[in-house]
Amino acid sequence: MYQLRLAKRMLFNKKGSLIGAVLAVTIGILVIHVNFVIFQGLFDAIVRDISNYRNGDVLVTDEESYITKSDKSLVSWFERIPYVKAATPRLSSTASINMTKSGTLHEKTRIPIVGVDPLNDIRTSTVHETVSDGQYVYSRNSIVLGSNVARDLGDAQVGDSIKLKIVDRYGQDQIRRFVVTGIAKSPGGQGFDYSVVVHIDTLRDMMNRHGESSSVMVKLNDPSKANDVKNFFLVAFPNDDFKAETIEESAEEQLAGFRSGIAMINMIGYFGMMSSAFAIVTIQMMLVNGKTREIGIMRSIGATRKDILIIFIFQGMIIGAIGAGVGTAAGLGYTFYAKETKMSFNNSLPLEVSYNWEKIIQTAILSFILAIIASLYPSYRATKLLPVEAMRTV
Amino acid sequence: MSKIYGEGENKVTALDNVSFSIEKGEFVLIVGSSGSGKSTLLNMIGLLDHPTIGKVFIDGTDTTNLTDDKISSFRNKKLGFIFQFSNLLTDLTVLENVLLPREIAGTINSAEKNARELLKAVGLSDQMNKRANKISGGQAQRAAIARGLINNPAIVLADEPTGNLDSVTSAKIVDLMKTMAKNLNQTFIVVTHDRQHFGDVDRVITIKDGKAFEGNASSEMEVLV
Repeated sequence: MYQLRLAKRMLFNKKGSLIGAVLAVTIGILVIHVNFVIFQGLFDAIVRDISNYRNGDVLVTDEESYITKSDKSLVSWFERIPYVKAATPRLSSTASINMTKSGTLHEKTRIPIVGVDPLNDIRTSTVHETVSDGQYVYSRNSIVLGSNVARDLGDAQVGDSIKLKIVDRYGQDQIRRFVVTGIAKSPGGQGFDYSVVVHIDTLRDMMNRHGESSSVMVKLNDPSKANDVKNFFLVAFPNDDFKAETIEESAEEQLAGFRSGIAMINMIGYFGMMSSAFAIVTIQMMLVNGKTREIGIMRSIGATRKDILIIFIFQGMIIGAIGAGVGTAAGLGYTFYAKETKMSFNNSLPLEVSYNWEKIIQTAILSFILAIIASLYPSYRATKLLPVEAMRTV
Repeated sequence: MSKIYGEGENKVTALDNVSFSIEKGEFVLIVGSSGSGKSTLLNMIGLLDHPTIGKVFIDGTDTTNLTDDKISSFRNKKLGFIFQFSNLLTDLTVLENVLLPREIAGTINSAEKNARELLKAVGLSDQMNKRANKISGGQAQRAAIARGLINNPAIVLADEPTGNLDSVTSAKIVDLMKTMAKNLNQTFIVVTHDRQHFGDVDRVITIKDGKAFEGNASSEMEVLV
């Protein structure tokens, strides 16, 4: 196929144009990969942290109020399913906290408070790993303060004593003193940085909700089975007003805005790719202009308009193929680097980097097709040159 | 045939009612001063341009109503071209340039032997694998002659083939064309403004003010109508 050979020669003998066109495609692809790594990585990191710290892969709540069914029976029911790694109950409310430090009373109201079952919680959630100072809740009078709460209480530290007040189910104030056993601080702030954590039984006592839970957090060995587990559960307990949600459903409110942000960023990436296409149009036009006389010679010795069209479309295909290859390799290199270094910005949450092969292949194919489309107009222009006019060009 | 450019006051008649025929194997010179219309005439014969009025018959074929693709195919099979400047594609080797008309025709099989023989005949057997931009102007014209002959065309058309060469090289190119014409019984139509370089030829057609005359430009010329 002489057209392909000629296209290759013409292109590789104009290395500057070739490098420029390949760079245009490469940069277009790289922008999409970088966008994906950063913004999808950030999104997935938030989902990961919400799943690990708060909602699990499946979150069970009650449609109306609190779960009254025994948490032990629910946990053991879940843990019989092979997909399930662990499950744990949690109870939530709000509290007022005060602490006197160096003679000054520090008080905070409407602090979210979470009651946890220490043994099950450690198996189900990784929030205990965010305790940067001290240790997680281990006894009925221990409390873990979120780092922001600790700061607002005048830099509360492990060993400090604090007073906590909540309103029970009958509207009565319940006050209790706790010893700070840990301070929690999570990268990205998706953990309990703005909450306090106590033993679930202590909180049940204070709220007068014995044996009740706000939710049961379920962590799976295989998160892709979340829908199956959710459906097993709802079928098994049809009359208990339970609500079971996968992480996508339970975190939807937190993620909705972010999701549309990612869509916009992706659009910007695709606009970047369009800019690359315009760069290819320009470079191909330059190549056609630079080869006007050669086009005239080829036409005079019998090349048809179609032959000329094919030569320049082949050039577009070569640019697209090399650009897609180099761009994808560069994008994968960046993704690999981000994954291996657990990339994060300003010590915030580490990105959850993944190789989305479908998107990677889709981007490479799209850029290849765009490079061909970008070559159509210059190729068409080349076919319109009259041989006698073209050969006047020196 | 006639060729008229522009309309109304801007109308320019480049060729005015020119008519002649050329027999197979003839070596014909088309001469005339600059702007006389000789290159326009060659472009008409070479199907690179269309006459405004009239027809061009080549090898018994009326080329008037051929489609663009048919004209390309006709140029490829029936015509060979030699131009004044940069005849060759600089991205290809000399051999590849000579083979190009055969590749376009889709008859590349066994063409390489033929191309090598032609390159040997024009004295370029040691240059055939060089890139076309690495050889001299005279060598490029020799390669163009070989390329013009590779498809055994009905006519080889040469537009000022020596116009860009020094006198020694010009003489060698003229000799080569005449030798090839004689050896292969090949029709050559050569446009030149430099009559004396070519010595004895079968015919000379002079173009003056768009009209064609048989013989060298003089008062006794026979008008070709």
